[in-house]
Amino acid sequence: MSPNLTLYTALALYAAGTVMALATLFTREKRPQHVALGMMIAGFVAHTFWIGTICVRTGHPPLTNLPEAVGFMAWTIFAVELALFIRYRVHAASFFVYPLVLMLLTLSAVVHEPFIKTPAGISRLFITHIFLTTIGVAGLLIGLAFGALAWAQDRALKTKNRGALWDWIPSLNVCKTVSYRALAIGFSVYTLGILAGILWSYRTTAGLMDLRVKQIGAVIAWILFAIVLQAYINDTYRTRRTAVIGACAFVAIMVAILGIHHV
Amino acid sequence: MPLIVVGVNHRTAAVDVRERLSVVPSRIVETLDDLRSLDGINGAAVLSTCNRVEAIVSAAAEDVIEPIVEWLTQRAGTNRAELEKHVYILRHGDVLKHLFRVASGLDSMIVGEPQIAGQVRAAFLASRELGALDSLLSQVFDQTMRVAKRVRTDTGIGEHAVSVPYAAVELAKKIFGDLHGLQVLLLGAGDMGELTAEHLSAFGLEQIFVANRSHDRAIELAERFHGQAVKFEGIEPYLATCDIVIASTAAPHFVVEPDHVHRALATRRRRNLFLIDLSVPRNIDPAIANIDGAYLYNIDDLQQVADSNRELRMQKAHEAEEIVEREVDGFRRRLVAQDAVPTIVELQGRLEDIRAHELEKCLRRMGPVSADQRAAVEQLSTQLVNKILHYPILQLKEAEEPAERETLRKTIRKIFGLR
Repeated sequence: MSPNLTLYTALALYAAGTVMALATLFTREKRPQHVALGMMIAGFVAHTFWIGTICVRTGHPPLTNLPEAVGFMAWTIFAVELALFIRYRVHAASFFVYPLVLMLLTLSAVVHEPFIKTPAGISRLFITHIFLTTIGVAGLLIGLAFGALAWAQDRALKTKNRGALWDWIPSLNVCKTVSYRALAIGFSVYTLGILAGILWSYRTTAGLMDLRVKQIGAVIAWILFAIVLQAYINDTYRTRRTAVIGACAFVAIMVAILGIHHV
Repeated sequence: MPLIVVGVNHRTAAVDVRERLSVVPSRIVETLDDLRSLDGINGAAVLSTCNRVEAIVSAAAEDVIEPIVEWLTQRAGTNRAELEKHVYILRHGDVLKHLFRVASGLDSMIVGEPQIAGQVRAAFLASRELGALDSLLSQVFDQTMRVAKRVRTDTGIGEHAVSVPYAAVELAKKIFGDLHGLQVLLLGAGDMGELTAEHLSAFGLEQIFVANRSHDRAIELAERFHGQAVKFEGIEPYLATCDIVIASTAAPHFVVEPDHVHRALATRRRRNLFLIDLSVPRNIDPAIANIDGAYLYNIDDLQQVADSNRELRMQKAHEAEEIVEREVDGFRRRLVAQDAVPTIVELQGRLEDIRAHELEKCLRRMGPVSADQRAAVEQLSTQLVNKILHYPILQLKEAEEPAERETLRKTIRKIFGLR
């Protein structure tokens, strides 16, 4: 099967699932939400095929350029979301996670880059660096999504004003726990990924960092996520400051991702 | 085969009539045997809840209605004219719609209440165990439970609490998720506080501590909840360990103040505190609502939650009615088609025999023919038979009223000489 066909099939299913899930924000009906999940799962299967096809054709994990890494990240995020859905039946995360997965895979489809064929490019260290940072970022983004849900739930309970998300959000405890664990695990893995990247950079360019946008973005994101994680540990995640830092961390991580081979 | 429901419910009969007709679980066998002994009844179930008593039967003909009403009159110990004021009689498609609505909670006093689905299930299961369900009622029962489940899953009609104590439980679940292992501090012995604690305790709480100005009353209440009585003056340490605080005292001042909660939260290590103030005048300082990690709801807040849930249920009920309509339509079609199957099969067999016989005679008369010619004659005969059968079969499948269906069936059997 052509990689493009599976990619576009996954994209179409993700797009349909995302639109349907977002529509339930207004209708509050559960059946469309289940149909949306079904479409996303079908998209995920096509997505998995696409990743598998790349692995078979290139002989290495799909992590050597921006489209591949972003596509793998989208896959990881949805896999985690699916696992969390099975465990906690969290529908509300779909309003954040589905668009994010769709956005990342769209990015993967529209950006065309050649595979890295140089020995340094496909070294084990490089693959480890990309693999760990991708998994780490997926964890951090899931952590942010659930952090946003915890914040929304806290506001709804405090103001006694149930918003559109009330029926879809699980308990405050679940949101806090998932967010904290995803951030903690994501941050640890991301840190290891950055260290692997520094080591790879040192070996290939004889320098720890050459301060390109992706590296600056990655380091800023690391610092900001450290602050967000600290806010969870101290139970001060509800503050506006934490929300702003979380948003900035999201932007920084996106800059780092987009900067992989462009700047 | 007609489906019939004869019964009374909270809208048609007062409690004194319903209680005379009600069937206690220990007498269900006897009641069902009694009902099935009436002539013409093929299958029967009795649904008896605090809101309704209904005889649900499948019968050979509608004549059975009269004896059922008579049977109910005897059970009620009243005269026929008096009972007829309260009884409703439903037939065929109306029975399906009624059962689907009842099991989905749409016909309940509190719309969407979840217990009724269990009661309908129990009634049919009791009947099935006693061998009182014929094939038709058995299918109706299975479909009723499927529809009830679909209504609940698709609309979420029973998810929201419509009373103050349940609203408190719903909010507790929104904060803590699972209530297993939580500890509750009940301050005072007010009725509403007691009721709320009772509802919460059904969800696997670890411990309930009760504090009251009268320690004897606290001990009495604590024993009821298998909890522990504590001195009213010494409640502060319990704020740090308990997750839910229910205040329902007659004190004219605040019993829990912001400083208490600040100190408690400092030792709770990121665990939230849910405070429910059911007293008037209030016992928990409203300023506590501004403390991070503390969620304070007073009686008006909870009443508002219950009221808005009630409105939400009414909206969901509209969606549920649409689901029921669609399900009734689909199921009725299936039953009609299924009912017509034996006649259709017999009819097709009969015409196929005629076709094969006449074809053989014709081919003999024609003498030697090529394979193509033989195939052409066979095709012609098959098409003719199919064309002739098309409308009778369609009519059989689409006749919804049992009487109409029966007339059609008899006519077709007579015309085509079926046995």
